[in-house]
Parts: sequence; C-alpha cells; structure tokens
Amino acid sequence: MLFKCKNCGGNTVYSPEKGRMYCPHCESTDSGQKIGDNSLTQCTNCGAPLQLSEYTSACRCEHCGTYLIFDERVSAPYEPRMILPFHVGRKMAAEQLEREFSNRLFAPADFMSAKSLEKMEGIYVPFWLYNYDVNYDFAGEGTRIRTWRSGDTEYTETSYYEVIRKMDADFERVPVDASYVMADGIMDLMEPYDYQELTDFGPEYMSGFLSERYNQQADELAVRAESKVKDASENLMQGSLSGYASIRPYHRNLNLHKKNDCYVLMPVWQYVYRYKDQTYLYHVNGQTGKVVGVTPVSKAKVAAYGVSVFAMVTMICGLLMHVLEIL
Amino acid sequence: MKEYFRYFKWIYIILAAVAVLTIGLHAGHWGLAKMADYQRTNGSCATEERVFDYAGVLSDKEENKLRKLIAKREKQTGCDIVLVTLDEPLEEYARAIEPNVVSSEFVRVYAERQWEELGFGYDKPDGDGVMLVDNWSREDDGRIHTWFCTTGRAFDAYYTDDIDHLLDNVYRYVEDDPYRAYKTYVNDFYHDMMGWRLFHLNLPGFLPWLIGFVTCVIFMFLNWSSKEGKKTTTATTYVAGRQPDFRVSEDRFLRKTVTKHKIQTSSSGGHGGGHSHGGGGGHHGGGGHSR
Repeated sequence: MLFKCKNCGGNTVYSPEKGRMYCPHCESTDSGQKIGDNSLTQCTNCGAPLQLSEYTSACRCEHCGTYLIFDERVSAPYEPRMILPFHVGRKMAAEQLEREFSNRLFAPADFMSAKSLEKMEGIYVPFWLYNYDVNYDFAGEGTRIRTWRSGDTEYTETSYYEVIRKMDADFERVPVDASYVMADGIMDLMEPYDYQELTDFGPEYMSGFLSERYNQQADELAVRAESKVKDASENLMQGSLSGYASIRPYHRNLNLHKKNDCYVLMPVWQYVYRYKDQTYLYHVNGQTGKVVGVTPVSKAKVAAYGVSVFAMVTMICGLLMHVLEIL
Repeated sequence: MKEYFRYFKWIYIILAAVAVLTIGLHAGHWGLAKMADYQRTNGSCATEERVFDYAGVLSDKEENKLRKLIAKREKQTGCDIVLVTLDEPLEEYARAIEPNVVSSEFVRVYAERQWEELGFGYDKPDGDGVMLVDNWSREDDGRIHTWFCTTGRAFDAYYTDDIDHLLDNVYRYVEDDPYRAYKTYVNDFYHDMMGWRLFHLNLPGFLPWLIGFVTCVIFMFLNWSSKEGKKTTTATTYVAGRQPDFRVSEDRFLRKTVTKHKIQTSSSGGHGGGHSHGGGGGHHGGGGHSR
C-alpha cells in the first residue's frame, strides 16, 4: 500500500514535527488516501521492480521515491500491536548528531556534512516487549567492621548479621529488538523509550520511513529479556545489601515468571557514513533524540593536532622555564 | 585549516605572550648588562691572567677567546672569573694543607689556596669572584675532580643547586669540547649574576619535553572517543512503580568478635649534610663534581 494525497496525488508521509500525515508536494495535511496493492515485487506507484529482504515491511522505491508499505507484512500474524510514532524529525535528528559529534576533534572533515546527513533514514525497528513477575529470596551472612585506637593498641570489632531479603518486582515492557540487522548492543543503548506515547498500530505512521517485521519470534528472544531482568534484579538486591563490609550468601532463589509479550515498532534514525572503506553506523532514538555511535578517526588530524599540542606546550614550558631562570 | 586555527587560538595567544615576555626580559637583561660597568678596585692582585691551562686542553686561540670573554664578563658582573685546568694528582699538595681532606676536595683546597695567594677578587683581595678548577688527572679514587669556588658577592648568589646546575652544564661538554665547556662556565656565571634570581630553580632541561609529551598523551586520550553511547537505563527503569517490593528485609544480629593488635611505631632516620668552611680569613663557598 501507499498513501497518496487527495489534492495533488503526491506521496503523503507521516510528519514527526506535525504529528500527522503531510504532503510534501502541496503541503496539505491529513490528505493521505490509502491505495491498496499487495505486490512485493514491484512498486505500486511506478511499477519498478523491488528488491526486498524477507523481513522488509516498508521501503522507499529507488526509482520514484515513493514510500511503500507491504500489507502482508503488517497484518496478522505480523501486525504490530502498537507503534511508537517518530517524534524527532530528520532535521532534529541531524541536529542531534551534529551536537553530539561536532566537537569530536579527530573526526574526518566531511563527517557531519549536510550532504551526507541527507542520506539519513528513519526506520521502524521491530521490538518485543515482555512483562515479568520476579520473586527473589536471599539469605546470607553479612559483616560490619568498626576499628578504633586506644593508646598503642588498635581494636577491630566485627559484627555478624543474618541478612534476609524477599523481593517482588513487576518488570513491565522490557524491550528486546527483533531485527537481525540492528546490533543488539546498539538497540540496548537506544533505551529507554517513553511508553506513554505508544499508540495503536496504524500503517499511516509508517509512510515516510523504512521498516521490518519481526525477524524472530517472542519465545526465541525471551532469553535476552530474561537476562536483562535478572541483571536488574541482581542490582536491586545488591542495592538493598549496602552497609555491609562483606556478604556471604547461603541462599539465593530468583524466580522469573513471564506474563505476556507484545509486538511493537520503535522509531530509530540511522545515519551511514563511509570512511576509508569502513562503514560507520549512527543511530538516533526517533522519540528521545538519544545518539549512539563511534566516530571514525582521521589519522591526518590526529597527527596534526597531536604534534601541534606537543610542540606548543613544549615551547611554552621551555620559554616559561627560561623566563623563570632569567627572573 | 580554519577549524585548526580556531581550535588553537588560545594556545597561540599564550605562546605569543610568553615569547614576547621572554624577548622583553632578554632585552631588559641585555640593557642592564650594557649599563653595567663595574670598576675594578683591587690593586693587589698578583696577576692579570685569568686562564691557566696547565693541562693543555685548550689551544692558544681558544685561550685568547676565553680571556676576551672573561674580561667582558668581569666588567658586567663585577667579579673576577678565573679558570684553571690541571693534569696532576693533588693529594700531596692538599694533604700538606689539610691532612684529613678527602680526595674529592683536593681541588677545593687547591682552588682556595690559589685564590688567596694570588689575591683574586674584583673589589679587594679575596673579594668578589669565582674560580673553576678542573683537574684532568685522576686521583687514587679513579675520578677526575672539578671545583667551582665562589667568594664575596658570588658566594652570596650561589646556592648548592645553582653550583650543581653550572657544573652539570660544564660537564655536558667538557670531554668532547673543553673550550665550549669553559665558555659555558663563564657565560652561565654571567647569566646567574645578571639574573634577578627571584627563583632559585634548577629544572632539568628535559622537563618542557616531558610536560609536552604528557600533555599530548592526555589530549589524545580525552579526544579519542571510542565510546558508542551512555547507558541511560537503571535497574528500576522497567520496574512497575519504579521500585521493587521488599516483603521481608531483616538484619538479625548474630555475634560479635573483637581483635586487637599493638601498633608498631618505627623511629625514622634522617639524612642531611652540607659543609661550609672558611680559609685563611676569606669566606669561600663552592662545590665540586667528578667524572
């Protein structure tokens, strides 16, 4: 399917800035009309052949630039229950990237050029959200140590305690990305999202962006969610054991009970930068604007700045030493 | 390039300011040296010679150049500047005067005796001046000893560190180029006497290089960012109500143990030293090095 403007016939897209459908050709809003077609092999608008991966659910036709959404990949069993619409637009995402990386001294000169930033793409990434009940029982022996001096004698008092904790926690909407293409570590760093803005899924939010359906089932990815929940539970338990010099656990029982899961689409901007035959990926959270990525290093800049700092500091120190000797 | 100059703007300004300060101080120093014209008032000195190259390590031409330089520096500093090179063991000579003197100070005994006997001193006998005695002959300890002797105003101006600094500079060249080493002695003495000497700093010459290198490493480290991004979730991010429920949280006291131990006090030793000596009514200072 695609969305066409009722007024001019142009491709309408979802505008993060306006929070509604928008026609970039005639600038009218909410004029999008759904045009249905379920072809996965050719563009609904121009008929050009499409080359899609098996997970692509929305793409941009390379020939006519129209944003296409594929019905069979956004309807059952692949219909997302909810979607978090883009809140950060292309311009704001580019600004966020510039703000984050413009002061990176050793980045190549054209790293954040306006031309390269134009190629940035907005992507809806498939996520599973998991709900877990956690019960954590802990028992151990803790020590508290106090030392004091009297005359030339030092006393050390060690107090022993039996430490018992029983913790319950409801973990809600723990996110795990369901895309092979997106690196798990990067997607974890994109968190957190503000779930208040999650809304019922509608394909119109996808017009103007790329997207995938989930690559893996919820059960396959539950192990990652459990790992996150376990780590967080351990941290919470450790936090409750502060004040002890040492803790010797003799009973630990962490029970996780998965309640349910939910398939959603989350917004991410992706900027691809190629430097010296290497590809560098940058991601901006499409809702919060959080930026994740590593800047490439220009060896020429490192040499120029490093030698300059060394030479100038040496000269300044040498001259200052000379001045002090004269004085 | 524009970005480069913008980034280093302040460091360039600081560099320029320090360079201007250095040039200004040098100009002031040079002006003072020009104005300085001490009149010699010691008429009892037994010789007008200042360069005694008994070891024969200098050519005639080099000796003459040193004499000219010394004559100029004496007028500027108001101090006699004497250079003696020897190539003979001094044990017998020194022990005849000071029976218990150690081998490293044979040259000191020689320098002080020569200074007094010849009546050196710019203002009066045994007055303002310095003498460098470099004995190229190895004593029984297998070392070559050098002594820098100071009297009068030079004695007041020189601290032990300053003497070490001057002798270090002399030793930097003496084996390969004695003339350069002795010229350094004369010029360093001139700079030491003409400086305002607000700070008695003898910083090692490699210090600016070291500071430059360390600063460069820190600069690289701070700017070489390899971090992908900060983790901005916490353990409670996905917990309902942002906090877990601790149904049971008990800390039951079990027992207590107390241990004690004696605190060992250690007596600390110290080290220190230094010496001063007066000879024959004069007040000499100085210090020696060996190689």
